[in-house]
Amino acid sequence: MPLLEYLANGLIFSSIIVLGSIGLSLVYSIADFANFAHGDTMTIGAYTALLTFGAVGGLGGAVLGLPYGFFVALLAGIAVAALVAVVTERIVYKPMDVGSIGMLITSIGIAFIYRAIIQLRFGADFTRYDVQTLRPIEWLVQYDIRITEHDVAIVLSAAILVTGLHLLLQYTDLGRKMRAMADNPELARVSGIRTERVKLWTWVIGAGLAGSGGVFLGLFNQLRPRMGFSLLLLIFAAVILGGIGSVYGAMLGGFLIGMIHELMPILTDYGIPIGTEYAEAVVFVIMVVVLLVRPNGIMGEAT
Amino acid sequence: MSWLTDPAGEFADLTRAEQGVTLFVVAFAIYLLFGLLRGTLDPTYFMFLLGLASMYALLSLGLNSQWGFTGLINFSVAAFFGIGAYGTALMTASSSPIAGGFNPIVGLVVALVVAAVIAVAIGIPTLRLRADYLAIASLGLAEVIRRIVLNEQGLTNGSAGVRGIPSFFEGWPVLATFPQSMPETTIDPVPGGSVTVAEPVFGIGFTVGQEIVLRTPFWRALLNVSLVFVFLGVSYGVLRRVHRSPWGRVLRTIRADEDLARALGKDTYSFKMQSFVLGSLVMALAGVFYAHLNLYVSPGDLDPITTFYVWVAVILGGSGSNRGALFGGFVVVAIREGTRFLNQISLSLDLGATEVVFSFEGLGGPMRLLLIGLIIVVLMRFRPEGLLPPQRELIWPGTVDEVPEGPDVGVREARGGSDE
Repeated sequence: MPLLEYLANGLIFSSIIVLGSIGLSLVYSIADFANFAHGDTMTIGAYTALLTFGAVGGLGGAVLGLPYGFFVALLAGIAVAALVAVVTERIVYKPMDVGSIGMLITSIGIAFIYRAIIQLRFGADFTRYDVQTLRPIEWLVQYDIRITEHDVAIVLSAAILVTGLHLLLQYTDLGRKMRAMADNPELARVSGIRTERVKLWTWVIGAGLAGSGGVFLGLFNQLRPRMGFSLLLLIFAAVILGGIGSVYGAMLGGFLIGMIHELMPILTDYGIPIGTEYAEAVVFVIMVVVLLVRPNGIMGEAT
Repeated sequence: MSWLTDPAGEFADLTRAEQGVTLFVVAFAIYLLFGLLRGTLDPTYFMFLLGLASMYALLSLGLNSQWGFTGLINFSVAAFFGIGAYGTALMTASSSPIAGGFNPIVGLVVALVVAAVIAVAIGIPTLRLRADYLAIASLGLAEVIRRIVLNEQGLTNGSAGVRGIPSFFEGWPVLATFPQSMPETTIDPVPGGSVTVAEPVFGIGFTVGQEIVLRTPFWRALLNVSLVFVFLGVSYGVLRRVHRSPWGRVLRTIRADEDLARALGKDTYSFKMQSFVLGSLVMALAGVFYAHLNLYVSPGDLDPITTFYVWVAVILGGSGSNRGALFGGFVVVAIREGTRFLNQISLSLDLGATEVVFSFEGLGGPMRLLLIGLIIVVLMRFRPEGLLPPQRELIWPGTVDEVPEGPDVGVREARGGSDE
């Protein structure tokens, strides 16, 4: 039973989910609505990387099977996703006064607009980055683990980004303000924090991480305009499991959801007749159960 | 006063938004009529569009009774639509993997019962949740249902879908053979020829009044439209009645302030459940109609995009307004079918030596998505209450209409202060 391989795949998929869920959780608590356009922000990151990588090319050397140019494309994906989110926030969300449910519905419209524009330019079909398809890493195959250097790159990059966020939150002024605001926006405001500016940075960080998640999702699977929206519910499941508003909860929730999603084949190995085609369905059921039993999630405080 | 005797007075009595919508509807109807007379709009296709629009109107009514009246954010519209369609398809179709061959009436009943059971099953866990959690959870559970329909081949034929669904009136006296037995009818709006208007009108020449021939497909479409009109009429009547009842008032209280409803001693969970099941039944009814219209259902019919089409219809029409839901349903079909024609349009510009050709081939899908997205954002930003927000329709007609016209009471005030 290739349990080790399932775990390895779970780790890779988790990395992508974690990158998506941190931003969703941050925006959920600080802007106070469920942002249904978050998945399509990931798609924006992925397609920006596709365009940038096509323009800059390999740039000589390569790390972990990925040309330097790909990392430039990754940065471009993060930057454009953050920029698009901030512009949307300024011209659409900020002037609105319709409550959190109205914002939720608006964000669905935003999601459709993002996806439509991508589809107008790239069509609805699958595409890939122009990087070489790699063979599994040799010395891991003997342990029944078949992962490529690209997969290692995804996990490492995600780990670097998440560690960076951790340092930011714990040791910088902005991080402390963000945590204060996620905890209690009114209290943060009366203690003199410029909440508008912190809010803006929250969007930048959340959408930027989502953009990087999208780039890696495109590398892990393929690119298509629906990729982000299809992943959105899994990310919501991760956020809810971890506890809305808690960044560390989102990390843990993303990790667990990614693992559960990829460990599904174990069920059939043990003779439970739920195939991998139900992996997402199982995650959604878990999400509903969490909502019922512990709506504040694992890391959220009980109220 | 009524529309027949005093249309101008009635029109002046409407709000600005109502006037705008009325003018738009009249203009659109004239446009369609013109298309029919010119022969550019096929009568059978027109009937198909009318049926589709009524189906969306039905779905919107269902969602409106959940979201508009009770404030339930249900993102599983497509799932209940699919349950209705699959329910009747699996009972009646010749290729059904489980039952098949039953009378469509049996299919209708089974579809509604299954929809009600699943609505209760989904409602039990989700209706206790906060509003935004309900949205996420219902979208997730709708996806679970779609996966089951897609993957349980033994139950639903999987991705191949169910073929060989009979028409709804199969086995009925007279109506079963109505399309075949109707004679080929020729309508000639201008006897003995046609009228050609050359250049003068708006600089565009056109011809109207060619003969229109109505054959079997048209009569079949007419029968389908009659069926959906019956569904729509019954649903509209029932919903209108119950929403004006004390029960409906509790629902509106829940939407406005659930804690208040609870403080008044109402079991809000139970009321929400009833509203959820009622709306889901109306959605399943739309699904039943769809199965017998299309004669083929596939898992693609449960795609979540249908849910959002219906949401656009309800928000556009005005949450809580049944006539708004009807209007929204028609607009959504106009968008859906209108963007389909984009694929056929190509513009060619002759710029001297080079000819530039703009082709919209393949852009229908994304343009539709873009339009839907823009409508949602623009509406929520500038007119979140929708185009036809509920007004007089929530008031019992008796309370304003049966006021004596005599001079002894302040009639104007009693009629709702229309001279403000």
